[in-house]
Amino acid sequence: MNFRRPFNPSRRRFLTETARASLGLALFAGARTARSATAVNPFAYDVRKYETTDPKLIAYRQVTAFKCPLPDARRLCLVGTDRLAVAAGNKVALLDRTSGASSAEIPLNNPVRCVTEGPDGSLYAGLRDHVEVFDAQGKRRATWPGFAGRPWISSLAVNAEFAFIADAGNRVVYRCDLTGKAINHIGNRDRDRGIPGFVLPSPFLEVELHPDGLLRVTNPGRHLIEAYTFEGDRATAWGRPSMGIEGFSGCCNPVALAILPDGRFVTCEKGLPRVKVYSQLGEFESVVAGVESFPENAKVGSGEKPGDGVKASLDAVVDGQGRVFILDTVTGSIRVMVRNQAG
Amino acid sequence: MRALFPRSLFPALMGLLAALAGAASEMRFPPPEFETDYTMPGITTPPPRSLAMEYVDTALLVTALGLAAWLVHRRRSRRGLVALSVFSLVYFGFIRTGCICPIGAPQNVALGMFDPGYTIPLTALAFFLVPLVFSLFWGRTFCAAVCPHGALQDLVLIKPVKVPLWIEQGLGIVPFIFLGLGIWLAATGTAFIICRYDAFIPLFRMNGSVFGLALGGIFLAAALFIGRPFCRFLCPYGALLRLGSIVSRKAVRITPDYCTQCRLCEHSCPFGAIREPVKLPVTPNALAPERRRLTWLILALPVLIAGGAWLGSKLSVAAAKMHPTVALAEQFLAGDKAPAPATALPTPETRALGRAAETAPELIAAASEVRRRLGIGGWWFGGWVGLVIGARLISLSLRPNRTDFEPDRGACYACGRCYLACPNERVRVGLITPAEAAALQAHAPVPRPDVKTS
Amino acid sequence: MSHPAPNPSSVSRRQFLREGMRLAAMTGAGAFVGLSSGRTGAREHYVWQIDPTKCVYCGNCATACVLKPSAVKCVQAYEICGYCDLCTGYFVPEPNALNTGAENQVCPTAAIERKFIEDPYYEYNIIESRCIGCAKCVEGCTRFGNGSFYLQVRHDRCVNCNECSIARVCAGDAFRRVPASNPYFLKTSAH
Ligand code: SF4
Ligand code: SF4
Ligand code: SF4
Ligand code: SF4
Ligand code: SF4
Repeated sequence: MNFRRPFNPSRRRFLTETARASLGLALFAGARTARSATAVNPFAYDVRKYETTDPKLIAYRQVTAFKCPLPDARRLCLVGTDRLAVAAGNKVALLDRTSGASSAEIPLNNPVRCVTEGPDGSLYAGLRDHVEVFDAQGKRRATWPGFAGRPWISSLAVNAEFAFIADAGNRVVYRCDLTGKAINHIGNRDRDRGIPGFVLPSPFLEVELHPDGLLRVTNPGRHLIEAYTFEGDRATAWGRPSMGIEGFSGCCNPVALAILPDGRFVTCEKGLPRVKVYSQLGEFESVVAGVESFPENAKVGSGEKPGDGVKASLDAVVDGQGRVFILDTVTGSIRVMVRNQAG
Repeated sequence: MRALFPRSLFPALMGLLAALAGAASEMRFPPPEFETDYTMPGITTPPPRSLAMEYVDTALLVTALGLAAWLVHRRRSRRGLVALSVFSLVYFGFIRTGCICPIGAPQNVALGMFDPGYTIPLTALAFFLVPLVFSLFWGRTFCAAVCPHGALQDLVLIKPVKVPLWIEQGLGIVPFIFLGLGIWLAATGTAFIICRYDAFIPLFRMNGSVFGLALGGIFLAAALFIGRPFCRFLCPYGALLRLGSIVSRKAVRITPDYCTQCRLCEHSCPFGAIREPVKLPVTPNALAPERRRLTWLILALPVLIAGGAWLGSKLSVAAAKMHPTVALAEQFLAGDKAPAPATALPTPETRALGRAAETAPELIAAASEVRRRLGIGGWWFGGWVGLVIGARLISLSLRPNRTDFEPDRGACYACGRCYLACPNERVRVGLITPAEAAALQAHAPVPRPDVKTS
Repeated sequence: MSHPAPNPSSVSRRQFLREGMRLAAMTGAGAFVGLSSGRTGAREHYVWQIDPTKCVYCGNCATACVLKPSAVKCVQAYEICGYCDLCTGYFVPEPNALNTGAENQVCPTAAIERKFIEDPYYEYNIIESRCIGCAKCVEGCTRFGNGSFYLQVRHDRCVNCNECSIARVCAGDAFRRVPASNPYFLKTSAH
């Protein structure tokens, strides 16, 4: 009588079956982990064809580049004949225009959003809700009163008589005397005067003084550059939306503006970071630097580098010789561009 | 007004959130001021299942377990167990849709033990522990009528076929290995594979990937003819419950009275859990070869464990590929990031590789840490597999001590099917008279202890 | 009729072993509970959520969720939206016209509603029943605009898998477990 039978199935069989089962399991697991070639993301947001620039359109070349020594660089301006001032973090940094060497730093108590130089050499620094004035040595000369509402000062322009302060939060440009007292408001929506008003999805409102005696103000939400008299009458406007090189891309561009000595315009865009030259009439002329020049900047918000697109922007200034200085707020680098001889 | 806005919305997410809020408040720009009396809609935040409901679930679990224990051991009512199964299937299965269920909970426990960033929620802990504690006292009452997976398979079983014992024993170690694998991978944060290969959750949700639904369909189809295939050959929690049940205070008895060895109950268990009585050999000497074999097996156990551990440590390299961080780091280091032509659309891979390039040092550090931990875990996992195989071999060589027809303590799901197969039990509950029972037993199959039913 | 146990001593030995092991198991369980409850914060359960600052719009949210359609949806943070006429989350990069024609829309399922508020502002709403969580609009909005569109796991839909199957494949490693009492990342304005 085989008494082992009832409780004891063959051990050998158990072993072979175990081996077989584990082999099968391993194969299954292997097959599941083996990665199949992944398909393209069918939902990709595709602007790739706008990220390359036709080289024939590029009329500038880079002569040098340096990095702003301070983090969080936002805007820059020319100082004197050989320096730049950069609003970075809670400071204004003064840099040499050709070497980038830092010559001085002016500390403030709050983030500096923009900076400009007056004709007398004093420096005007815009904070969120007010402006502070420094002399050429960096000593504070005045702190102007703050603005009411939801101020978010983003740009300044100063001539011998007036200071023009662009307040993106209140969507207006103030004309002030040089004590900071507002004389009139420019650009407020006014249907009777034919002023459509600034549309600012993001805090980029820039004001510049043009040699023709008018102001130029960006209106990024409408993809326009508008000309205003000091009294606030809207003279002209130009610009149109397009991802293509001739237009202003995205929802709200241009974000910055500079004026060449002969009165033509240099515009900066974000999203598709690019810097271009337009004629006085607003016709597209050439490219200073295309998207490929700002790879880090272009990545922000594009998924290649997560983060909010609103942090990425460009700013440009032009010196008397027509050199363009471009600040990339993502990398903090400043590129110095000159026009190609041929172009 | 500015100050009113909560700066850090997720105190629990600490550093990360602080960074986010800081960055956000820096650049966030107010929306336009509208001239019309437009009121801005708020963002809606539909809440997840409330904590109160989790407590209700836990209470229901305990109640159902208690009820099941009572039905199995006191009432001895198959009908009651079926009713409870239907409830469990509907509530724990189709309404609660599973997560976190006891089957997957060992992974949460493992993660909670080894990942300082994860504390196991109390309810998950309860779902893990309570059925186990019940099994220590009353056997697999959870499987009997509370587990929705078990209930589903149990209720669809229409025509059970007998699974040969050797298959039963062979495949029966898979749940233990699966358990080890699940814990190993969960403890290292690699994957929750028990959840990934859960057969029935997609069915409960009536939604899921093709793979998940197909797996569920296959198991469900098999369950029509093979009693509880998932429970017997895959369920890792069942492995734990089996251990608990082996040492349980009360075990399922086919009849609480006495066994006349009429064999009438022999085929009543669709899960092959009923074991025959074992006769003692005539002379003790006949046991000698068995004893020898047992000695050898016990001596071989450490060798099996060591060998398994060594193999397991080798396996960890492959397992690491399942960890997203390691996989990405490897792909990145291999440099196959083939700079996509500017015209090519991004794939999830290129996006991930882009992230890898941004954060290379941290990513590689994190990946090697995961690797290290997987390596250590691999030794343990391999050793566990060796132990499981060795223990199964030893248990196959042990001579059970059985005088009656009895359910195997570990394998019995306490479903109650066998109760009324026993004529003595029928007499006990008053369904038939002792005379009728005797008549039944007279027609009982002739004992043929030398032929295995298969 | 019941047979006497052939080897009573063996039976009691087994009995003893069983008792001992049960005792050990109970002690283990007790110790375990003590150990686990000693760690703080265990009272709450967790749910899955996306950290929008890490999302890289890989598209897996639309395809990898166990639910079809995905439990991940785009949400609109009205407070930081520019209400742009030319919304880059709504319109394809070079739309034929700024109207609601399907060919002009970024969203593959036309899940975004464009509603005129006043010149020149438009409100954009996500129709959640249509949104598949593909993140296409999110990329458009974040790249050019304010990032007011972003992806979130919607907890009225999510079945809260023990391991979120999107988390496993998320290209940005953006998924994490968050306490259920605080289940969303909210983007708000600083003002
Ligand atoms: S073995 Fe697993 S799946 Fe089956 S009833 Fe028990 S716990 Fe549920
Ligand atoms: S209760 Fe009886 S029929 Fe049910 S699993 Fe246990 S031994 Fe088998
Ligand atoms: S584009 Fe994608 S994420 Fe955005 S609303 Fe449409 S389906 Fe949702
Ligand atoms: S937890 Fe599950 S249901 Fe929720 S988003 Fe992730 S995969 Fe989808
Ligand atoms: S899977 Fe991750 S990276 Fe991809 S879209 Fe979803 S959250 Fe963004």
